[in-house]
Amino acid sequence: MCNGQLMIKGGRGVRTARKKTWGIVFLCLMMIVALAGCKESASVDNKGNPSAADDKKPFTFTYFNAGTSKKNIEANQTKIGKIFEEQTGVNVKMEFLVGDINTKIGTMIASGQYPDVLVPDIAIDKVLDAKAFIPLNDLIDKHAPNLKKLYGPYLEQLKAKDGNIYFLPFGVNHGYIPNPDIDQGAFWIQRRVLKESGYPKIKTLDEYFDLIAKYKEKHPETDGKPTIGFTALTYDWRFFVISNPPAHLAGYPNDGEVIVDMKTHEAKVYGNGEYTKRWLKKLNEINAAGLFDKEAFVANYDEYLAKIASGRVLGFFDYGWQVNQALNSLLQAGNDDLRYMPLPIVFDKNIKDQYIDPPSFASNRGIGITVSAKDPVRIIKYFDNMAKEENQKLMTWGIKGETYEVDEKGRFYRTPEQIKKTSDEQFREQFGFSYFEWYWPRGNGLFSDGNAWEPRRQPEVAQASYTEGDKQILAAYGAKVFSDLFAKPDERPWYPAWSAPIKQGSPAQIYQQKKQDLQRKYFPKLVLDPPSKFDKNWKEYVKEYNKLDIKAFEDEITKYVKMKVEQSKK
Amino acid sequence: MEIEKHIKTVTTAPVAVESNLSKPKSIWKKIVQQKTLIFMSFPFLIWLFIFKYLPLWGWTIAFQDYRPGLPFSEQEWVGWKHFRFLFQDEAFFRVLRNTLAMSIINLVLGFVTAITLAILLNELRNGKFKRIVQTISYMPHFLSWVVAASIISYALSLENGIVNIVLQKLNVIDEPILWLGVGEYFWGIIGVSEVWKNLGWNTIIYLAAIAMIDPEQYEAAEIDGASRLQRIFYITLPSLKPTIVILLIMNLGNILETGFEPQYLLGNPMNLDYSENLDIFVLKYGIAMGNFALATAAGIFKTVVSFIFLFSANYIAKRLGQARLF
Repeated sequence: MCNGQLMIKGGRGVRTARKKTWGIVFLCLMMIVALAGCKESASVDNKGNPSAADDKKPFTFTYFNAGTSKKNIEANQTKIGKIFEEQTGVNVKMEFLVGDINTKIGTMIASGQYPDVLVPDIAIDKVLDAKAFIPLNDLIDKHAPNLKKLYGPYLEQLKAKDGNIYFLPFGVNHGYIPNPDIDQGAFWIQRRVLKESGYPKIKTLDEYFDLIAKYKEKHPETDGKPTIGFTALTYDWRFFVISNPPAHLAGYPNDGEVIVDMKTHEAKVYGNGEYTKRWLKKLNEINAAGLFDKEAFVANYDEYLAKIASGRVLGFFDYGWQVNQALNSLLQAGNDDLRYMPLPIVFDKNIKDQYIDPPSFASNRGIGITVSAKDPVRIIKYFDNMAKEENQKLMTWGIKGETYEVDEKGRFYRTPEQIKKTSDEQFREQFGFSYFEWYWPRGNGLFSDGNAWEPRRQPEVAQASYTEGDKQILAAYGAKVFSDLFAKPDERPWYPAWSAPIKQGSPAQIYQQKKQDLQRKYFPKLVLDPPSKFDKNWKEYVKEYNKLDIKAFEDEITKYVKMKVEQSKK
Repeated sequence: MEIEKHIKTVTTAPVAVESNLSKPKSIWKKIVQQKTLIFMSFPFLIWLFIFKYLPLWGWTIAFQDYRPGLPFSEQEWVGWKHFRFLFQDEAFFRVLRNTLAMSIINLVLGFVTAITLAILLNELRNGKFKRIVQTISYMPHFLSWVVAASIISYALSLENGIVNIVLQKLNVIDEPILWLGVGEYFWGIIGVSEVWKNLGWNTIIYLAAIAMIDPEQYEAAEIDGASRLQRIFYITLPSLKPTIVILLIMNLGNILETGFEPQYLLGNPMNLDYSENLDIFVLKYGIAMGNFALATAAGIFKTVVSFIFLFSANYIAKRLGQARLF
């Protein structure tokens, strides 16, 4: 510093004038840049005049989807988007999440600048808190008859406390058809185990593990490595895969962390109850018998999938959507014996299983128009056009003769070539299925002509995709599709209770986090310690559990369940 | 030493000259004289202000039930509520213990191994071998923790893990050990992993410092009959002392920053009690729950602790007459 000062002093007479000018120019530039920055962020408010009359005039709105990561695209580059553009003159600039959802949405909120249309996924509470969505009631009333028809009976339920509808959830129910393939929870068992015992009909947890134990004793190794009797997924937030089975085994669907009484509609946690104890005790037993995967509490999600894909695992509990990747790679490997069969296992013979989701309508996610939208009327009209039944078919089934066929009875089906084509990711992107089949105003269930809303739920489509091995094992159990083995779901208007909105930082939310921490700490001990220690560990665990604010959580869920039941009566 | 003295003479001289010149002149005159410099420093001061001081305003969040999107005037003030939540939470102290323990282990191991390796490398006569060792040892530094954690967890796994295989072959253990499944081992695993990953990198600065030592000192010592070890203890180490002290002070300021990635990636339900550190706690109860106020409160706590550590270390160094940061 001192040196520098001296130097300038020395050369002062010669250089000061030029230096001064440069210094000032530089400073001015800085100021301009700073001012420009301020100005831009200040002009947030840019609501234009809604154009109502001229409907087909070219118009583009922006769409941001925080629920999934895909290639950013303009809608008219896909076949479906192009058709919509021809119908309405509207194009959509679609952008998808990169990185962390809370950060991304948080930045939007902080800057006050939103895309025209936003799908905030799990961050929806923040968006609503920030009042970033405009109310849709009047828009729907005036401009969207088809939307009104599609959401018809549910419009009342969608209203927030102030009576406004701020967003439209996806998959509003129209009739119900279960998925023929199990993408929900089930106890999976390797087909070679069933095959060797001559396809026995098993129902209880004891039978399930007995079968596995018998098989493992005979075949201790698979491909030169030890056979694993039963593994479990415990990684990070996916921990629920090991904490949920007690409810399923007791004959309840996946309501999250609670069991809801069918009569009183009271929600009760089961993490500290008999069901959980029974489940963990069984795991503890099979661990002592050498059937439980010792690494189950250490492995991450990828390691778990790799283990299943290796074909060394005889059984596991999981939700289909989480293990699809591993199951598909087994399917492609072509050895049918190493693939898995989903079974509705329960504690006792007299329990009716409820693995298949009841008709559900998760109304805590959705799509909304933001305060930054330039022309909400054109947007709602775009949604409305989409809500027409023929366009809903376009979004899920595609184009007749190209991606589906219709038989003489009016049933939709897909030829094997079409099934192959429509499951190819590149084709799905070009056609637009990837971009339009979810995350837009959409129905679910059955169309008015009786066809399934989604092709994968149409039994004809599911059956056409079955391999010889699939057909063989289904025949052995006297079923046409995999869901035939499972009981029909009872009606639960509140389902799923886990979609209850829980306020951030509230005691109920802190309970959830603490409960998970506690279970992550105690489950390994309960399962892996020698059976003699089980009761002591269990007592300790329950003592810690009961210190949590269980009531706050139960009250919150019960309130939600009762509200849902009331709404369904209307 | 020689160089240091040299620098001192260079820097002190002009100051004396300048103070003589400017003594009678007023401060205004001085400003006018140095206006170009002052102008030139403006952009950087503005930058400093915007990016280092304005964000401090965000600390107010810690005293509110902050809700994003609402204007400042509509936020609800709650006083010390979030700090109380932190300090009344049992988990917080466990997390703090883990953070401090891992930090100290890393600090000690990091210093000892890096200095040892630097001295050993310096003693090598074979330049090629030296370069190879250095390259190999600093390669892991460039691995991302995601990759490194996969390597570590694979090396420690039950069936194929090289650690278990080697220990079994050497008859140290009978049964393979589930290393990541025993909480008590976790700090050790992290310590060793950090050493493996950063050893070569940390060595560089010491090697540079050693290179500054005047070779004449060694020659003189050799003539006086000092052995190799004596040369290390009486010349190399004392010359390294200022570097060591400065680095120690700087690292003490980061005592609550154990890093986040290794603990997050290697942590699992079985070692949770020992692996969870402050940053993971903040992620779970603050950011993941959208409770930015709590996250900010924890951040303030961290800053305060770091400040205390930094200043006390600096003060101690000053009292002991050692090199110091400020």
